[in-house]
Amino acid sequence: MFRSGARGNHDPGPASEALRLVKVTRTYGSAGNAVTALDGVTLSLGRGTFTAVMGPSGSGKSTLLQCAAGLDRPDSGIVCVDGKELTGGGEAELTKFRRGRVGFVFQQYNLLETLTVAQNTVLPLKLAGRRVDRKRAREVLTSVGLGDRLGHRPAQLSGGQRQRVAIARALVTEPRVIFADEPTGALDTRSARQVLLLLQEAVRVHGRTVVMVTHDPVAASYADSVVFLADGRPAGRMDAPTPDAVAERLAHLGDDVPAGV
Amino acid sequence: MFVLALRSIRRRPGRFLATLLSAFLGAGIMMTFNSMHDTAGQGGVDPVSSETLGTAAGVVGGYGTLLVFFAVASTLTVNVRQRTAELELLRCSGATPAQIKRMVVGEAVAVALVGAALAIGPAMLGGRALLDMFQDSGQVARSVDYSFGPVALLTGVDITLLASAGAAFLAVRRLTRGGRERAGAKRFLAGAALVTGASAAGATFLFSATDEMLMAAPAYGAILLSVGFALLSPRLLKGVLDRLPLSGASGWLAVRNLRERASHLAGILVSLILFTAVSTATLTMQSVESDAVKASGLVKSVDAKNLETLNLTVVGIIAVFVCVMLVNSLYAATTYRSREFGQQRLAGATPGQVLGVVAAEGVILTVTGVFFGTVAALAGVVPFTVVRTDAVLPDQFLGVWLAMVSVSAAVTLGTSLGTARRVLRTPAVGAVTLAA
Repeated sequence: MFRSGARGNHDPGPASEALRLVKVTRTYGSAGNAVTALDGVTLSLGRGTFTAVMGPSGSGKSTLLQCAAGLDRPDSGIVCVDGKELTGGGEAELTKFRRGRVGFVFQQYNLLETLTVAQNTVLPLKLAGRRVDRKRAREVLTSVGLGDRLGHRPAQLSGGQRQRVAIARALVTEPRVIFADEPTGALDTRSARQVLLLLQEAVRVHGRTVVMVTHDPVAASYADSVVFLADGRPAGRMDAPTPDAVAERLAHLGDDVPAGV
Repeated sequence: MFVLALRSIRRRPGRFLATLLSAFLGAGIMMTFNSMHDTAGQGGVDPVSSETLGTAAGVVGGYGTLLVFFAVASTLTVNVRQRTAELELLRCSGATPAQIKRMVVGEAVAVALVGAALAIGPAMLGGRALLDMFQDSGQVARSVDYSFGPVALLTGVDITLLASAGAAFLAVRRLTRGGRERAGAKRFLAGAALVTGASAAGATFLFSATDEMLMAAPAYGAILLSVGFALLSPRLLKGVLDRLPLSGASGWLAVRNLRERASHLAGILVSLILFTAVSTATLTMQSVESDAVKASGLVKSVDAKNLETLNLTVVGIIAVFVCVMLVNSLYAATTYRSREFGQQRLAGATPGQVLGVVAAEGVILTVTGVFFGTVAALAGVVPFTVVRTDAVLPDQFLGVWLAMVSVSAAVTLGTSLGTARRVLRTPAVGAVTLAA
């Protein structure tokens, strides 16, 4: 249903690395009380992978996602999405960079209340000035199980349904990388499972790359691999994660990385 | 609850600035004009002077009450709507609806008291200037001394307090009742205003060109018609939106936003319609009248001069109030949308596109408001001009109309775009999580 072969003419051929971060540093606050959220993070994610980013609160996982997605600019270091380097510039330039390369799924859904499900889904296409293929939008919405809710407003949907609209909206532009920030943080276990299976399907069936920030070991176990983060630095990696192994690793994350060194 | 009210004002004085400004302006204007009653009530004032002063006080006093009510009501409605979360929290912590009502009304009364107290000094100066003006134009004898007495003080403070308390009561009731509006009653009122307005404008033809009361019928006609349109404004806006073939992402979003928020935007449309109708109609008719008197070579009577002064004053007052209401409601409405703008940006809108949406909304609102305001104004101006002169549309109309439209457009677009630019300085991710 989301065939990558059906992409438009702006496809220069996918790069083998979907996302690459080199020595990315991000500091908040002024010189006196500066907080280093990211401390020289280097990371490389291949195409068609599903990666969870985990770490305790304040470990910099949300900052990592925002820097990688072009929502925030790092103080130093290089960010490449789909082989194209993210360079400085105003918000308008960053927005244009993100269009078509990056899709988002947030904990708070961030759907526009004034638009219907179908209108929310095609909004990124409208904003980017791309042709709006309503049939495809309906196909995508049907594939996330909302084919019968096209005319509903977000306020008429449950949390799980809203998050599936958000996933449809992220998929419809056929982005290289989908960034998900605690996508199941506000959902019950059943809705969370549906959302995670959809993200998994986007990777396995349609070849997208998904990066998901979470602090739920169960959510992380749906990913192919988990990258751990502590105090703004990478703190190991786990392939084929299970909930128990992830929880175990997370509990001892503070032991391996001495703070403040 | 009153203690809580005072505390909530002290913690966030900025939120009450618009309400304070409306109360201050209203109390100031009412005290200024009502001090004419005090001045006329002194011993040894001749009947002509006394009548002039009395008329001025009566007419503007009546308008003033209505305006204070509307201005305070509009600022408070915005204020209460923005505090839904806080009021909800109070309700969850065990406050009964009556207690919340008392708190909001208490806040309004406290703010109104401060506004009225602040207005006393300026009102004294204003009243003195007004008397000077009447004396310079020969409408009031030189021998009359200015007096600021109990009538001015009592009416000014009382009416401001009553209007504020009433407006607050209505604002919070609308909120606690969940916004169930009696559409039927509103439609009936709108229909009545439109019919009465149209017949008043039609009644102009019953007068002769030199009747002193000639201006009254078309002026009331125009005002009533604009009130009718104002009451129907959400419906009118929807009608306009259905006929708009807007393309482009910004226009597309603007139309959908407006359609969803039509009832919230009614306040802005009401201000625009009333402002355009009242100011265009009154100023055009006044200048037609002045030119006609000048052409006939006659000297204006005291009554005619009185009428001119009053017309200009009333238009001035309405213009100031409407500007305060417009700026306040647009500023509040736009600030409130910070989260929505953030969501648009995360969905791939550039800051320019977000501003484009805001501008498109502003233009649609202005054009709709100005259009219906102009229809109401023309309904008054055309009969008046036909009876008073031989023309149908006076030459002065275009100039006055252009001036009023520029003011409306400048205030509407200036406020919403200026506020939106400021709101957009918050990074999109921050804007989305702040309000979440």
